[in-house]
Amino acid sequence: MSPKADPAPEGDAGVVERRKKSKKPKYSRFTQQELPACKPLLTPTIVISTFSLIGILFIPIGLASLSASDIVVEIVYRYDTECIPQQSQNDKLAFIQSSETDKTCLTTLTVPKNMKAPVYIYYELDNFYQNHRRYVKSRNDKQLRSKAYEQETTNCAPEATTANGSPIVPCGLIAWSLFNDTYSFAIQNKVIEVNKKNIAWPSDKNNKFGSDVYPKNFQQGALIGGAKLNESIPLSEQEDLIVWMRTAALPQFRKLYGRIETDLAANEQISVTIENNYNTYSFDGEKKLVLSTTSWIGGKNDFLGVAYLTVGSLCLFLALAFIVLYLLKPRTLGDPSYLSWNRNPDGHQ
Amino acid sequence: MDGKGWERVRMTRLGGPTASRGREAAQLRQVSSQTVRLGRVQPQAPSHRTIYCNDREANLLARFKVNSVSTTKYNILTFLPKGLFEQFRRVANLYFLMISILSTTPISPVSPVTNVVPLSLVLLVSLIKEAFEDWKRFQNDIAINSTPVDVLQGENWETVSWRKLQVGDIIRVKHDEFFPADLLFLASTNPDGVCYIETANLDGETNLKIRKALERTWDYVFPEKASEFKGEIQCEQPNNSLYTFTGNLIVENQTLPLSPNQILLRGCSLRNTEHIVGAVIFTGHETKVMMNSMSVPSKRSTLERKLDKLILALFGGLFFMCLIGAIGSGVFINRKYYYLGLFEDVEQQFNPSNRFVVSILTMFTLITLYSTIIPISLYVSIEMIKFIQCAQFINKDLHMYHAETNTPALARTSNLNEELGQVEYIFSDKTGTLTRNLMEFFKCSIGGVSYGVGITEIERGQAQREGRALNEIQKSDTVAYEKGFNFDDARIMRGAWRNERDPEIFKEFFRCLALCHTVLPEGDESPEKIVYQAASPDEAALVTAAKHFGFFFYRRTPTTVQLRESHVEKMGNIQDASYEILNVLEFNSTRKRQSVVCRYPNGRLVLYCKGADNVIYERLAGTNQDIKRLTREHLEQFGSSGLRTLCLAYRDLAIDTYENWNEKFVQAKSSLRDREKKLDEVAEMIEKDLILIGCTAIEDKLQEGVPDCIDTLSRAGIKIWVLTGDKMETAINIAYACNLINNDMKQLIITSETDAIREVEEKGDPVEISRVIRDSVSHDLKRCLEEAQLDLHIAGQKLALVIDGKCLMYALDPSLRVHLLKLSLNCSSVVCCRVSPLQKAQVTSLVKKGARRITLSIGDGANDVSMIQAAHVGVGISGLEGMQAVMASDFAIAQFRFLKDLLLVHGRWSYIRLCKVITYFFYKNLTFTLTQFWFTFHTGFSGQRFYDDWFQSLYNVIFTALPVIILGLFDKDVSASLAKKYPQLYKEGIRNTYFKWAVVAVWAFFAFYQSLIFYYFTTTASEHGHNSSGKIFGLWDVSTMAFTCVVVTVNLRLLMACNSITRWHHLSISGSILAWFVFIFIYSGVMTPNDRQENVYFTIYVLMSTFYFYLTLLLVPIVALLGDFLYLGLQRWFFPYNYQIVQEIHRDEVESISRTELLEIGNHLTPDEARSYAIAQLPRENSKHTGFAFDSPGYESFFASQAGVYVPHKAWDVARRASVRSSKRTSQR
Repeated sequence: MSPKADPAPEGDAGVVERRKKSKKPKYSRFTQQELPACKPLLTPTIVISTFSLIGILFIPIGLASLSASDIVVEIVYRYDTECIPQQSQNDKLAFIQSSETDKTCLTTLTVPKNMKAPVYIYYELDNFYQNHRRYVKSRNDKQLRSKAYEQETTNCAPEATTANGSPIVPCGLIAWSLFNDTYSFAIQNKVIEVNKKNIAWPSDKNNKFGSDVYPKNFQQGALIGGAKLNESIPLSEQEDLIVWMRTAALPQFRKLYGRIETDLAANEQISVTIENNYNTYSFDGEKKLVLSTTSWIGGKNDFLGVAYLTVGSLCLFLALAFIVLYLLKPRTLGDPSYLSWNRNPDGHQ
Repeated sequence: MDGKGWERVRMTRLGGPTASRGREAAQLRQVSSQTVRLGRVQPQAPSHRTIYCNDREANLLARFKVNSVSTTKYNILTFLPKGLFEQFRRVANLYFLMISILSTTPISPVSPVTNVVPLSLVLLVSLIKEAFEDWKRFQNDIAINSTPVDVLQGENWETVSWRKLQVGDIIRVKHDEFFPADLLFLASTNPDGVCYIETANLDGETNLKIRKALERTWDYVFPEKASEFKGEIQCEQPNNSLYTFTGNLIVENQTLPLSPNQILLRGCSLRNTEHIVGAVIFTGHETKVMMNSMSVPSKRSTLERKLDKLILALFGGLFFMCLIGAIGSGVFINRKYYYLGLFEDVEQQFNPSNRFVVSILTMFTLITLYSTIIPISLYVSIEMIKFIQCAQFINKDLHMYHAETNTPALARTSNLNEELGQVEYIFSDKTGTLTRNLMEFFKCSIGGVSYGVGITEIERGQAQREGRALNEIQKSDTVAYEKGFNFDDARIMRGAWRNERDPEIFKEFFRCLALCHTVLPEGDESPEKIVYQAASPDEAALVTAAKHFGFFFYRRTPTTVQLRESHVEKMGNIQDASYEILNVLEFNSTRKRQSVVCRYPNGRLVLYCKGADNVIYERLAGTNQDIKRLTREHLEQFGSSGLRTLCLAYRDLAIDTYENWNEKFVQAKSSLRDREKKLDEVAEMIEKDLILIGCTAIEDKLQEGVPDCIDTLSRAGIKIWVLTGDKMETAINIAYACNLINNDMKQLIITSETDAIREVEEKGDPVEISRVIRDSVSHDLKRCLEEAQLDLHIAGQKLALVIDGKCLMYALDPSLRVHLLKLSLNCSSVVCCRVSPLQKAQVTSLVKKGARRITLSIGDGANDVSMIQAAHVGVGISGLEGMQAVMASDFAIAQFRFLKDLLLVHGRWSYIRLCKVITYFFYKNLTFTLTQFWFTFHTGFSGQRFYDDWFQSLYNVIFTALPVIILGLFDKDVSASLAKKYPQLYKEGIRNTYFKWAVVAVWAFFAFYQSLIFYYFTTTASEHGHNSSGKIFGLWDVSTMAFTCVVVTVNLRLLMACNSITRWHHLSISGSILAWFVFIFIYSGVMTPNDRQENVYFTIYVLMSTFYFYLTLLLVPIVALLGDFLYLGLQRWFFPYNYQIVQEIHRDEVESISRTELLEIGNHLTPDEARSYAIAQLPRENSKHTGFAFDSPGYESFFASQAGVYVPHKAWDVARRASVRSSKRTSQR
């Protein structure tokens, strides 16, 4: 005999009520699935007009972006190999690690076009993994923020404490490896002032780095990772550090070094004095100095403009192609002969 | 024996309470009876229970179970542990539990919130759903447990709730009430201690069963008397056998044996009896019906199983990605990156001196990082979608509400919705499903003249196709119509037959109808109020017909049948006559006829016989060829109109002939061996030289809209098989009427009713029989297969296979199964007749497992339960009395025709929606994870996360959660009416068009493409990106940008996937995007004092202060979606799906709102509409089948129980009996 289920739920209790009340479901658009809806169909017209629209929209944006990027004047100078004296070229590492060697490096840059102030000074590092997991987390935001949390060095190993156990402020690998090349500029022996104020995002300065937190025990260990900090200046004023600690997304990155607040004329010769202190040689990193103006779009960045232009023209091309296609092989909307069972009535098995 | 039993009972009474039931029952019994000591608690003998009627205190010791029933899964204490355990049985949840644990270790790149938050949300939602469902069960239990019942308290009936009932209580159950527990039947208001019960809840049979109380207890009907009743019942322990019961009732030192005939089971209801009195013997979970209750095996849909494969593929992808990352990390790690601080004691994961360990640990790191590739909220979203689809859409669909029975559709499980969209084979029961099981006397042929002016649906359809008008005779107003009688002909109604040419033959005809049957009259003995209880509705229809012709059968005694005959001699004259029934030669499937020998009040001895035309014709006397020829013509005519025919004949017997024969009959009846065979042989001797009277034609009414529904479903590419316990003739008859078979089709018939097989069967050697049948079946199969291939491929003819149960038994044998499957898959329709419930299930699983197609079984009775459970989807017909099929089913609908809505509308939509939901989930998680993956390459394979922890944890549960659910609920490619108008659209589901690997691959490709766009566009554009203040972005600025693009794009992509966009779509999509912005504004704007790395602090504000943000936000989503857009455009242009063309055809139509439509046509068709509906597609039919059909399931046992003999049910056990010889069969094909 077939298995039995308990009939009780319906049978016993239901019977009495069933006779009385109707179980007819109530009408509602929701339950009958008749909610008002628009039904967009991807008809050729819509496809073509969408493509045209995108094309028409994107090309101007692209042109605008490109021209904005075009106004920007940029000087990029890679100095990591050139700033090593000839005799040390074979052992760059020894050169950079020695405290004896003179790391000053002089060079001259030519201004290609007029550069209106402010001219931004960036350093660009390559093959430097600021986004490595071990590196990114090697900081303690609490400690950076407030003096009260000075002892807080979680996540900071191996740069958490000194040998005798007192906390390093700011702790962690990020701060420890602070970039320490310096640049100074002169035109015709006239020193150009580099403004290093206001190079960090205000939110970082005001909220992430405490004005009562002073560097302590920093770079005191056996290994020196990078720049030292002036212990009398609070972290919130140490903008180099703040910029450095906003870790970059990619292993090739630029960071703002300072600003030149005088206009630079075309063909002017800028003599640059570089203190080539920072060790990128052990991991074959590159170092570049960048001078750049900005426009509304930011620094020199053709990518967005090119992308907009490419996509815009691609869309226009597609729109054209579809129009041609439509003329050559018109598609009747809703032609029943397209239905598979009309195309091959018997062959659907 | 009595004394001894009594003794033991006494002793056990002293012992008692801790009744332990065990497997070592026998052993324990021995022990207990040996070690009885006073004052010590002894276990009650486990083999039986002793009940003291009407004595609660005595029963207290035994601690019987209470009568309250609980079907809940959890209680308050067990809910959490048990519910959580259930949840973690799902692999996905377990996986995320493990990931969550992993993410608390330093290996993890993400904080635990990333995984814990989504997991707990998912668990929370699932647990709430569980709790809700359990709560509903609990409510239901309460409702049942508090149903009132009358219990004897002192000398009065007191109403208490069911749950208060105890074993031994004397209770009263009134008319139409359900029995609250298993009862011992003591007394009834009916004079002879009988009562009628309906067992529909147990076995789906709607005919009444008779129970008879022991004569000794008949008197205890009234409370004063009943309170004196002090019996002891010794009976078996609770068990689940419905048809057995052993026990004794001990009253006043008298031991009376009890049989199942005195037992009233819970779940049955009392009928035709004012009230009964019974003693409770089994309560609550110990009742037989509860012991039988089995949780319906939970089915998983095919789509979900395919989903498992997809998840597995994702795991594969995950592993591959992690492997690449792990190898990369091993290669990358190096002391030269001094700023990473990889000095002497660095933790193992970054220790360059052991690169292998670094790789292994990074592997784990990356697994946690990429865990989002497995869509954690997918399962819970699907569950919610399906749940709402069931509860709100299927259950509340007005198109599937049946007004007559007040039954809406009911989805009993919510995990098979999409399976409904992929059904390719439907296995349907016949009676109650395709037909109403409502037999109506429709036409007849008496003495060679055809009577009855009705026109069947088939005739109507035929006429319609041929364009000829039927001159329908207006039915006279006074036409008598009642259930079972739909006949009108002025020539014979209201006594007019007396004016016909030969009134005598009319009398024979009507008397044959009134006498030759096994019907029981019930109720008031007036023509209006009488109710006929018959084993088959055919019989009732015939007796009802006789009543209308003036031969009113009103009383049956064991030896007589009493008729009230009017118009016999003179118009208006009424006269009661008592006919003595001397012998009844029962109907069975081999004899195909039934006879009674009766003696008229005037002493005339007549044998009346009714049966199949071929059987009767063989036994006719050689006279009056005219009537034979005319009747034969009428039979064919009736048959082709889809009517079920029976031939009537009689024979006058001489007294000595009869007595001679009767001797042999009595002998045969009392023989112990081969009684049935002998009885059949004896019957042969007297059922000969018959005189043909005429024939009857009964309409087996189809359910409304069945032919139309079948036609629509078959155009949808669904193949419908009819599996029925009926005879081949009936089955073919119905198949014709339902348009499953028509005359354009070639019928392949495999039957065991061949001469060769009969011959062997006569010899009775079972080994030989089985060998011969097997050979013949094997031969037939091969022959049919050849024919089929020839016809199908060369002639292109459609095929129909008809096979009977006995052949099926052999054809299902492993060696022949392949042939059967091949053959049946080639046929457009298959009819299996005479099949047992088990075979129904076997055929279903043959197709399910052998052909790997999605199957659906639909049925209404207990005999369909096994097939309903075997199929992928089981559908029960609800609204009628029987609940068995419904209880076992996944969906319950009131009418077969609702299948159209259930499959073509709900199933199709569910399938398409679910496919979209799944592929979309797959896409959005893959896209998200891949951006993460590209980032890994630029982080020295360190496993640094690209996104903030909270971004990642809320991505699945907030920012992209709701729109996909909306899509899963509201997406509609074509409206319901179009889905039914173009049933071919359904084929896309059968072919699984929307969830093929190709579809997944397209999504995967675009996920790949989009993730590249997201990652590279945002990072490249940001490289020098700054605003005019020259400041530079950090990692978290870029990642916030990328994440914004992902959220916007992924949500917009959903919009592109929608076919219809409601305001819910707008709300949810814009809501999700808005949620992200609100979140990030708050999240990055607020500094919290607790120790979190303020990575994303202010990022969004920094970003929004730059043009870069706006330019990128416009560019990236559009570029990302451009690929999809192009693909969709091209696809629609050059390779449109069928639904897309249908959309286009009807693009300008405003979707009709069904409210008006429903009001106009109502929910159910009027009978006339239904008829015209039904006929529309009926085939041209000129088959020579005469339509003999007469079913009587459980016929013999019905008769036996009427005589007070209890016969356990052996319904559908058709293959059991070897058919006995009957000479050459006239073909009915």
